[in-house]
Amino acid sequence: LDHGYALPTAARDCLSSIVSQDVQTLTERPRAVFYTSENDPAKHTELHEGRHYSIPLDEVKTVFPHGLPSRFQQQIKTFNEACLMVRKPALELFSYLKSSNFAHPAVRYLIYGEKGTGKTMTLCHVVHYCARQGWLVLHIPDAHLWVKNCRELLQSSYNKERLDQPLQASFWLKNFKTSNERFLKEIKTQKTYVWGKRESTEAGRPLGEVVEQGLARVRNASDAVGVVLKEIKQQCHLGSFRLLVAVDGVNALWGRTTLKKEDKSPVSPEELTLVYNLRKMMMNDWNGGAIVATLSQTGSLFKPSSAYLPQQLLGKEGFDTLDPFVPIPVPNYSRQEFESCYRYYLDRKWLQHERAHTEDGREELRFLSGSNPRQLERLAAPL
Amino acid sequence: MAAPSAAGLGRRLRAWLPRLTQVRWSRYNPSFLEPEVNKELYQKPWEELSEEEKEKMELKAVRPIKAAPPNVSSSVFSDPVISKFTNMMMKNGNKVLARSLMAQTLEAIKRKQLEKYHKAPEDQKEAIECNPYIIFHQALKNCQPIIGLSNITKGGKTYQVPVPLKDNRKRFLAMKWLITECRENKNRRMLMPEKLSQELLQAFNNEGPIIKKKHVLHKMAEANRAYAHFRWW
Repeated sequence: LDHGYALPTAARDCLSSIVSQDVQTLTERPRAVFYTSENDPAKHTELHEGRHYSIPLDEVKTVFPHGLPSRFQQQIKTFNEACLMVRKPALELFSYLKSSNFAHPAVRYLIYGEKGTGKTMTLCHVVHYCARQGWLVLHIPDAHLWVKNCRELLQSSYNKERLDQPLQASFWLKNFKTSNERFLKEIKTQKTYVWGKRESTEAGRPLGEVVEQGLARVRNASDAVGVVLKEIKQQCHLGSFRLLVAVDGVNALWGRTTLKKEDKSPVSPEELTLVYNLRKMMMNDWNGGAIVATLSQTGSLFKPSSAYLPQQLLGKEGFDTLDPFVPIPVPNYSRQEFESCYRYYLDRKWLQHERAHTEDGREELRFLSGSNPRQLERLAAPL
Repeated sequence: MAAPSAAGLGRRLRAWLPRLTQVRWSRYNPSFLEPEVNKELYQKPWEELSEEEKEKMELKAVRPIKAAPPNVSSSVFSDPVISKFTNMMMKNGNKVLARSLMAQTLEAIKRKQLEKYHKAPEDQKEAIECNPYIIFHQALKNCQPIIGLSNITKGGKTYQVPVPLKDNRKRFLAMKWLITECRENKNRRMLMPEKLSQELLQAFNNEGPIIKKKHVLHKMAEANRAYAHFRWW
C-alpha cells in the first residue's frame, strides 16, 4: 500500500480525462472529479463513468414516486439533492436501447448481481433515461411486495379461481398515475369494460378513467391494473409511444408465496391476478419497447441468501419463460468508482469522523466494505 | 499442574483472608505479555523509539503474547468511550444488537445536524456541530456530576455526605443516567436510537432531564454541606 502520494492513481486518471472534457466545469466547481454537470442520461458516455449526476427534486417526485430504495430516499432528504453514479451496466443498457429496432419483438434485459451491488439503482437510472426520452414507463418497484404480507385477499370477480389484492393494486395505480399523467389522457380504451351493475367504461374513453375507477372502487383495483396492462400492450405496436416495462425483483413472479387461502392451503403465484397479468407483460410477443428486469434475493421467499444467478433465483419455470434474455451483471465498485463515492461522501460532509479523512480510514473502509456499495453506505452511516 | 494449585491456593487464601480475595484469576503464565494493537507504534522506525519502548520490543521477540480480547480493535475508528457505552447498553450479552443501536444513534444525530446545517444561513453554518462523536463526548462531559453523595452511618443514623467522585465513577454515572432515562421515559412506539439521539443533542446544549438530574444532585450536596466533615478519606 503506498501512502506517499497526494492523489491516488485512480483520481489522477480521472483528472486527466477531465482535461480533455469541459475545462470550464473544473474552474467553476472544484468537485468535478467525482461530479458531472451532465444531467441528461441520454448524453452519458464512458467519459462520465464513475461520476455522480444530480436529478432535480421535482423530477424525482414525478419520475420516481415509488422506485427508489428507502436508504436512498433518506439520503435525498439529508443531502437535499438526489445524486446517482453513472456506471458501466447502465451505459451498456443505454447503448442497447438506443440501437434497438422497435419493429422486432421486445428484448428482455435481466440485471443480476450479488447483494447490494447496485441493481435497483441501475434500473432507476434506466427509468430516468426512458422518462426523459418520453417513453411510457411501467415501473413495478418491488414484485416481492405482491406475493407476501397481504392482509386482504378477495376472490376475483372476473375469474373465480384467482385472488385479488385491492391494497397493493390501488397503491400501485396511484403511483402509476403520478408518473404517467399525459399518457393516460392520450391512450384510449379499445373495448368496453363492465365493472359492476351500474359502472362501466366505454370503448374510446381515455385510460385515465380506468385508473380513476380502480382508485375509487378498491375492490376492482386489481382488474383495473389488468385492463391497463392489456390496453398498453395492445396499443404499443402502433408506434405512438414506446413502452418500458421495468420490474424490480422479477424472481417473485415465478417463486412461491407466503399467502394462504381461507382453507389454509398455499397460494401459488399464478392464482394472483396482479402476478398473472404481469407475467403476460413479460412475454416477448409485443413490439415497440423493451423489458428491463432485476433479480433480487433480498426480498425473495424461500431462496438461500447466497443465491444471485438467474438460474438459482428464477427457478426452472421462470428461466424457461424469460429464456432468450440479455444478462447484465452488476459488479462491486471498481477502484475508480470507490474513490468517487468516497469523495462524494466527504464533499457532502457525510463522513464526519476525523480519521475518515485520512488514508488509513479510506483503506479501512475499502477493506471492510469489500467495495460493495451497500456495505460502504452502511459503514459510512455512523462515521 | 497450574489448575489444582490455583484452585487450592484460592480456597486456602479465602479461609485465611475472608474479606480480600481475588475473584477473577488469569490462567496465563506470568511470562505472557499484553498484545499491542496500535499500528502507529509498529510503523515508527527503530531510532525514534524511546528507551522503554525499545526494551519492550526486544522483550516481545522472546516472550509469548496473550490472545487479544474481542473488545480491543486495531481499527482507526474504534473509541473506548463508545465501546464502554455500548457494553452498558447491552442486554443478555447481545452485543450485535447493542452495536447496531449505537450505530443507528450516531447516524440519527448526524442526519438531524446535517439537515439543520443545510437549512441554516451562511453565517450560522460554522456554529452547527455535525460530528456525532464530538457531540457524544461533549454531551457525556456535560452530564458528569462533580460531587456525589455517599451514605455514612454515625451514631445509629445514616447521613448523606457530599463526597468527591473519581473520574471513572463520574463517567459511569453519566452513562447510567443517560441509558436509564432513555429506557424508561419514552413513548412505547419510539425506538431507542431516536430517543438517545434526542437526549444526546439536548445534553450537548446543556438542557434536558439528565442535566436537571445532575443539578438536583449538586443542590442536595450543597444542602448537606454541614455533614462534609463526616468524610474521613
